[in-house]
Amino acid sequence: MFSDTLFLLSSALTLGGAFAVLYSKNLMHSCLYLLGSLFGVAGLYACIGADFLAATQLVVYAGGVVILMLFAIMLTGGASNKINKFGLKKIPGMGNFSTYMIAGVSAFVASLVVLKIIADVLKSQGPTNLVANEPTVFKLGVLLVTDHILAFEISSVLLLGALIGAAIISRPRREIHD
Amino acid sequence: MDSTVVTYFSQSNEFHSIVMWLSKIFGDHAGGVLTFTIFAVVALVIVGVMATVGGLGTYAERKISADMQMRQGPNRVGPYGILQFLADGVKMILKEDIVPSNADKFTFILAPILCLMGVFATLAVVPFSSGFMLSDLNVGVFYLVGMASLVGVGIFLGGYASNSKWSMLGGMRGASQIISYEIPVTLTILTIVLIAGGLSFGTIIHGQSGMPHKWFLFHNPFAFISFFIYFISSLAETNRAPFDLPEAESELVSGYHTEYSGMRFGFFALAEYIEVFVVCGVAAALFLGGYNFPFGHSIELAMVQKIGMNSMVAQNISQLLELTAFFTKTLALYYVVIWVRWTLPRLRVDQLMTLCWKYLTPIALFNLVGCAVWMYAFDGKPIYSLIFETAVTAAHH
Repeated sequence: MFSDTLFLLSSALTLGGAFAVLYSKNLMHSCLYLLGSLFGVAGLYACIGADFLAATQLVVYAGGVVILMLFAIMLTGGASNKINKFGLKKIPGMGNFSTYMIAGVSAFVASLVVLKIIADVLKSQGPTNLVANEPTVFKLGVLLVTDHILAFEISSVLLLGALIGAAIISRPRREIHD
Repeated sequence: MDSTVVTYFSQSNEFHSIVMWLSKIFGDHAGGVLTFTIFAVVALVIVGVMATVGGLGTYAERKISADMQMRQGPNRVGPYGILQFLADGVKMILKEDIVPSNADKFTFILAPILCLMGVFATLAVVPFSSGFMLSDLNVGVFYLVGMASLVGVGIFLGGYASNSKWSMLGGMRGASQIISYEIPVTLTILTIVLIAGGLSFGTIIHGQSGMPHKWFLFHNPFAFISFFIYFISSLAETNRAPFDLPEAESELVSGYHTEYSGMRFGFFALAEYIEVFVVCGVAAALFLGGYNFPFGHSIELAMVQKIGMNSMVAQNISQLLELTAFFTKTLALYYVVIWVRWTLPRLRVDQLMTLCWKYLTPIALFNLVGCAVWMYAFDGKPIYSLIFETAVTAAHH
């Protein structure tokens, strides 16, 4: 009963948040709804017993990504001035023929990919029994430094690259004296 | 299944008789209903107690600061002015609730709620005692770090939504400070996780014992340094002086909550004081043995075997002792936090960032590596057992 309630609540939060992100006129509010949606996703992870993944979702998204997005939105300012100094629109019009075409094609491709991924689930009959709340941290840790060590190292190199890149971009430029 | 407060209650015979009784009424197995009721009641009790602790925190703050500055402090409401926080609470509720006309209303209302929600969510895993922690999640510490970061979102939004320069500066300072200081906090927590071999508070606390020489604080030199790093960084994470830049009253009026009045301001204040308690509780759990009290379970065994006490009664008494131990350690740290606030002057913004990125983070990283090396080199033994072993070998020669 509890897991059903948790599932219904989290899925409602996820979907409701996602729709509110799309239909909110205010970018800041969208970001907040996104926070709610990400919380819902964490709840969904908790439903299937992936406790570590749920906590990671909270740490990474609620703590880091959403605050950084808020920062970015705030520092770029609102779109009060929609036309730049050359008289061109900064924000291209949404909903003309080409955008609908692109949206249609990408939705088609994305749905094919999703169908391919969940094909196994659709084919299998009957509910699968989930292992009740087995701790996943230990298994994840062991897998991460044995089977998936290469992916782990590659992603850490990627993060290091991002860090160094950010440091180089944001450091004050030295003036060159002749 | 993680051990929870329900697991503790289900050891008693009364639990099963109540389940049987309820099952007769509902005509179905009523374990779930009772579980839900126990969780709801205990959650309400914990939130109530913590709100009182937060309120008493404001009283303690004023009284201790008064002591340090040779003043009287609040002394009118109740004996020694101890009911001052209730009077303040009533005042907060009765005050006019102002939303500035140019504020972003939705965000303005949401911000204090997010702050308080983040803090209350962390209470789910705070280890008050082995029985009375709401849930001993096996990702407990990690969950706590994640939930505590919601407070940062709340502070930032509070600053943004007020549409005031003071608030905006305070909110930006708050967000950048909390994000930065999360790194040394997480790294020092990781050091302890490395020693304990688990993320749950149960594992961490059972790896220690009531006596100080078995605390993780004295496990090895790196853990000892980690404690101070954790304490300093958590002061910054909770916006306490000397890191209270987001609400620096000499520059920013009162920072991110300048425009807030009434109970909305009260939410921010309450969230801060409860968060300080949570952070001190985590420090006690990670480094100071948590709810372990001296001699621990041998007292419980003695009560059962020597005096012939009912084992459930003995267990309840030992739970009370554990609660006492936890609250003693946490409140001692709480005192230090207040003491620091009224002793040290505030840092500048650039000094704050320098301290975090150039000192605390590298030291925390060094500690993490050093601790790993210690665990490998000495087979995970704490320093006191190494000393004992050396002494024993020396005595044999």
